[in-house]
Amino acid sequence: MNASRVSFSAAGQWGMVVLLLVATVTGLLLEPYVSLTSQAMIYVLTVVLAAYRLDWVKSAVCAVGAVTALNFFFVPPRWTFEVESQEHFIALTTMLVVALVISRLASGLRRETETARLNEQRARQLQALATELSGVTTPQQVQSLGCSALEAEFAGPNTLVLADGVEVLAHVEGLDAAVLDGMRCCMKDGAVLGPGTGRWPGLDAWYLPLGGRGQVSGAACVRPALAADEEGREHAQALCALLAQALWRLKLTTSMLAAQGEAQRQQLQSTFLAAISHDLRTPLAAIVGAASALQTQHDKLGPTEQARLLDSIASEASYLSAITENTLQLVRLASPGLVLRRDWESMEEIVGAVLARMRPHDPDHRIRASVPEGLPLVRADPVLLAQLVGNLLDNALKHGEGAIELTVSVQPQEIRICVADHGPGIAPAEQEDIFRPYARGDRSGRRGAGLGLAVCRAIAQAHGGRLTLQSRAGEGSVFCLLLPLDVPQPVPELP
Amino acid sequence: MTLRVLVVEDDREIRALIQSSLSVEGFEVQTAVSLSEATALLHHSPPDVIVLDLGLPDGDGLQLVHAVRRLQNVPIVVVSARHQEAQKIELLDAGADDYLTKPFSVGELLARIRVALRHRGTALAAAVTVHERDDLRIDLAAHTVQRAGVPVHLTPTEFKLLARMVRSAGKVVTHRQLLMDVWGPEFTEHTHYLRLYMAQLRAKIERDPAEPRHLLTETGVGYRLASD
Repeated sequence: MNASRVSFSAAGQWGMVVLLLVATVTGLLLEPYVSLTSQAMIYVLTVVLAAYRLDWVKSAVCAVGAVTALNFFFVPPRWTFEVESQEHFIALTTMLVVALVISRLASGLRRETETARLNEQRARQLQALATELSGVTTPQQVQSLGCSALEAEFAGPNTLVLADGVEVLAHVEGLDAAVLDGMRCCMKDGAVLGPGTGRWPGLDAWYLPLGGRGQVSGAACVRPALAADEEGREHAQALCALLAQALWRLKLTTSMLAAQGEAQRQQLQSTFLAAISHDLRTPLAAIVGAASALQTQHDKLGPTEQARLLDSIASEASYLSAITENTLQLVRLASPGLVLRRDWESMEEIVGAVLARMRPHDPDHRIRASVPEGLPLVRADPVLLAQLVGNLLDNALKHGEGAIELTVSVQPQEIRICVADHGPGIAPAEQEDIFRPYARGDRSGRRGAGLGLAVCRAIAQAHGGRLTLQSRAGEGSVFCLLLPLDVPQPVPELP
Repeated sequence: MTLRVLVVEDDREIRALIQSSLSVEGFEVQTAVSLSEATALLHHSPPDVIVLDLGLPDGDGLQLVHAVRRLQNVPIVVVSARHQEAQKIELLDAGADDYLTKPFSVGELLARIRVALRHRGTALAAAVTVHERDDLRIDLAAHTVQRAGVPVHLTPTEFKLLARMVRSAGKVVTHRQLLMDVWGPEFTEHTHYLRLYMAQLRAKIERDPAEPRHLLTETGVGYRLASD
């Protein structure tokens, strides 16, 4: 910047000399044809040209030069610096004054033109920034747009920090202590600090808050800051106002989405609660009924009847326990940040453990398991897989009649666990519904944990697997869990 | 001599239920509603077995297990909800003897307590050396295993694993404990060893390995050698 100014002034000086030289030569060449007045006018033209192009010091120098040259070359006595008549002296003085006046006017005009150009450029920048900001979706984008806008207009070093509140500033890394102080203060006051603002005028930069008091979302530090450069400061403020607006809009959008999500969640939750309380009430009624019968009619009931009531209490209670377990599991599986407790697991073991748990509820040995030897291990949460297989078997026992086949088989990329029953089957229209929590297919008034299959599907998906259903009304259903096989399998060092 | 049971449980109903069903079986039952009360009772009159609920208001029970293990060899049966796996395993690895998952039946509770009492002191005294159940007979001293009278040949590691299970017959043994005792402390994360060796063992000693009756899986926790 400085270098270019130096070369410009050197060019100005040389231009001035060249102009005077040209005027003198022209005057001398026209000597035979024109009077002294015309020769003087040539110098006036030179002075006007110089005054328009150069600043007022140089214009004055040029005017003095022109008057001196006119005096030396043309005004009698010629080839001396003496002035013969008073008339010539007045002409020379007038020329000097004209040169100075024009120079003043021209430089004023030039300054105004420059200001107008700068203002236009700034207006265009604001417009462009506003357009770009209308499309941003993250505060980071706002920050990078803001930084480049400040860099384009101010030599810097500039700093732009996004921080919701003054306390957050302390956690911003790589911030100079002085800059941090300035930002903290301007955010607290919600007003610009620095030269020309009346607040902390001794600073070497302007500190501008993003947003007003109460909703500040950051601050900017802009350099160079001159007290006289009011327009520059106003431009910086306008840029910051745009950025603040964009940030505010983003914040509003975020909170609006959150509110929408929350409303949706509450809606879902109330449906869920209504459904689960319905599911809990039925077994509770059975338990309370049986228990109160035993309490009040104990003596009148025969031993068979008493045993039946006790059985009913135990089985309804275990049904309640299953519903509770499934509900809790579904909530856990739906919670963000769910971490599965995965380990290398044997499908054979998991199936074996589930069968051991199911057999007391399967006195007729309806479940027939077929598990091949030497199955590959799966990387899974065993408790969840056991719950999945247990739910499928439970459903099959409840909804079907006759045999239930549990088969495990291996495909090249996945392991498949299928539970097939010979029950009434599921109509195609209901096949997707039964996986949704509490969208139970209404099959002959039978109740089943409305959550069982939803939990199964959630468990399958949490493991990167799938739960499929093949069924035709009247021909039973086949539920299959397909789990991806992790490669490589762990290699045992067999001793 | 009457056996004393300390029941640490904060829920009044469950505490009363456990108390009454244990009293009927001839145990002398003491109850505590918090860990601090349990600790105080421990010093006052040491019980023969502790039934410890997880999720007490004043702590997770781990300190109590450590405290008990430092002082006496009292068996501890942990009672937990299904989702408390990690905590349960931590307590078992720290020295608790067995666990029950809520909801449990009185029969299960009595069975666990009986097994825990049977193992009382075996850490010091001569351990069980012969295990017999149904068609299975394991003689640790003679280094023999028979199924339905027919000798079963086991590899040294298979035998070591089975022997470890026999020494804790009826009790749950966590993955970590098994890996530590059979393979060594640097193998405690190698759960896949267990899966493979258990499968081999079951193939040799179970009638139907897919539905084992001796080597039972405690899903996510460990294994249990059935013994009733």
